[in-house]
Amino acid sequence: MVEYEMIVIDLFLMLVSAYVVGFLYYGLYRNITARFQRRIGPPVTQSFYDSIKFWVKEETLSHGWMFYLGPVIMMAGALMTLFFIPFFYQSDAFSGLSRYGNLFVVLYLMMLGPLGNAMGVGAGGSPFGAMGVTRGLTRLFAMELPFYIAVIALMSINHSADIATIAAHQESYNAFSYPLLFIGALFSFIAMMGQSPFDVPGAPVEVYSGPASEFSGKFLALLMSQSAIFSFAKLVLMVNLFLGGASGFAELLLKTFALFVFVIAFGALYGRFKTPQSVDFLVKVPTGIAVVGLLLAIYGG
Amino acid sequence: MEEGFLIQQRQMESDLSSDTSHKSSVDFLMNWFRKRSIFVLAYGTGCGAIEMPPTFTSRYDAERLGIRGAATPRQADVIIVSGYCSYKTLRRIIRTYEQMANPKYVLALGSCTVNGGMYWDSYNTIKKLEDYIPVDMYVSGCMPRPESILEGFLALQKEIAEGKASSWQRYEENYEFYRKNQEKVLGRNVAPAYDADWYLYDGGL
Amino acid sequence: MNTLIRNRFGTDEIEVKRDDLSKVTVVKYRVFELIHLLVEQYGYTTLNAITCADWIEEGHFAITYMLTTRARRHTFMVQTMIGREEAKIDSLTMLFPQAEIMERDLHEMYGIDFPGNGNLVELSLENWVHTPPLRREFDTLAFVNELHDFREGRDDNLDVKAEMKRLRALKKAAKEAAAKKEALKTEEKEEASQPSAAQKESGHGK
Repeated sequence: MVEYEMIVIDLFLMLVSAYVVGFLYYGLYRNITARFQRRIGPPVTQSFYDSIKFWVKEETLSHGWMFYLGPVIMMAGALMTLFFIPFFYQSDAFSGLSRYGNLFVVLYLMMLGPLGNAMGVGAGGSPFGAMGVTRGLTRLFAMELPFYIAVIALMSINHSADIATIAAHQESYNAFSYPLLFIGALFSFIAMMGQSPFDVPGAPVEVYSGPASEFSGKFLALLMSQSAIFSFAKLVLMVNLFLGGASGFAELLLKTFALFVFVIAFGALYGRFKTPQSVDFLVKVPTGIAVVGLLLAIYGG
Repeated sequence: MEEGFLIQQRQMESDLSSDTSHKSSVDFLMNWFRKRSIFVLAYGTGCGAIEMPPTFTSRYDAERLGIRGAATPRQADVIIVSGYCSYKTLRRIIRTYEQMANPKYVLALGSCTVNGGMYWDSYNTIKKLEDYIPVDMYVSGCMPRPESILEGFLALQKEIAEGKASSWQRYEENYEFYRKNQEKVLGRNVAPAYDADWYLYDGGL
Repeated sequence: MNTLIRNRFGTDEIEVKRDDLSKVTVVKYRVFELIHLLVEQYGYTTLNAITCADWIEEGHFAITYMLTTRARRHTFMVQTMIGREEAKIDSLTMLFPQAEIMERDLHEMYGIDFPGNGNLVELSLENWVHTPPLRREFDTLAFVNELHDFREGRDDNLDVKAEMKRLRALKKAAKEAAAKKEALKTEEKEEASQPSAAQKESGHGK
């Protein structure tokens, strides 16, 4: 039973670190975008203030039990995804439940969030929410293609679906040994982080922030927390798959931050694609690149 | 599960009287967080809307104070009534204001909200915004410059921190007064009438 | 063109206001004939505006149709008078689709009926049940004072005109005082320089 308690403490520490680092990264995101626009932004801890302000709102409007369950399911999906991704490939600490599930489980659990979102928003009855959700699901179908192809290639190269194994087998980073796979996965990673040019579902000026349009107060706080935790989980996954994993917290923070800054810079410079445009692009260019990379990786030795 | 989480919350917080000066450290902390992060509804009501983009973008950056725009009234804390309100706009403002979640604040810009301003003898605008919606802070000018708007936000932050910005409670307590004034000017049907089916029957599409 | 119109429609002299603007007044039942003539024969293909002026003393509305040539070189104003009670004139939407909104505006603000216009609903006002507001019998000030009450001023309120007068007088007095000081200073300087000049002369003389 000592092992069971160790796992629970481990999961709790992973949750806390993902929460804190995720919100700090979002605060840094606002600062970096502000510097791009020749101004200074809010303090780095601003996301914490936003989230706590929404927690202490006195009134929360609800539209029924499914509306209440929507953010809860999203949070559950984010947490479960986080728990199955190991932070450090060499040690047992911060490995969570990763020895009980592999990459297939993680990819499956990543779908839980948008599904809960769709159900909750549908129960809210806002037409903008429904518009945002349909756009989001359409974009999801397109952006998963290059990512899955790259993941399949990596799994077949390493003869294993375990994330720790894939991370450990990289003498030189997978990003440099298999660059085409990395580029294909990077495009869909930009879409997964909700950055331009693929960020039409949640755009404030397009669809009145789409899925988040009817949520207020505590629901919105839950959505923001879920977004931060999920982003951090996705960043750690990409680092493990392509950037050689990490052996200490400093190295993990450095690599995730580098990847995050690249994604933000990309998003700050580009405008927004419409949904059919983004689906068109994602199904043609990154998928093509990833397929070529897959063939090279499997048959090129 | 009924749609009544409001009932449970009100029971827990029912001892907050209308004098919201902070009584405990929890109140102090809550107000501190509320003043540090203000979401402003992106709704330009009148001519003052022209001064809002410079305030929120690069030149007179309001994001340093934690102020950012919100897309829907459900997510917003502050609604800025920027300038004159014709009866048509007032209807929509009232409906939007009632959709926002407590605690909510109203910032009134310009002299048209104080005493009619330039349109004091117009047959289609209202003269005193306070009769129809409770107002927290007036920023005078025609239109106030972005520096004035930022000062207005700083004064609003100070009032929030001291617990004096309690306009939403005034609205709930004196609702008959506000409703009487609204009906006097807008007729019995205060909110705009929507004809689409999906607005008449709540519960979805 | 002007003489032809004058002869055919029996109007007064066509008023040439500027070199790109002319105006003519016709009777109500011949307005559309004139407009059709202008559009088809003389190339005034754009309807710029339909406006209305309220002549309450003479008891009629003056409706003006402003037509412009395709190259926007010349504008022709066709004016007609209709009565104030039961104001009604046929709609021009068959010829110009944009007339629908212009007539909607006039209907709302003056109460003029345009049979033939299928969409005479309200445009800028909402649920307006009083008299149409741009008619001159509608007393705006009385309406506003009855419906709203204003805030009283502050206790230390000053009358604007009196204050401005006082400030201007103060400024003027200050300017005069400064000018006087300047004049005094220059006089002193001259006096100061004169004795030195006298000294110099005496020096020379010595």
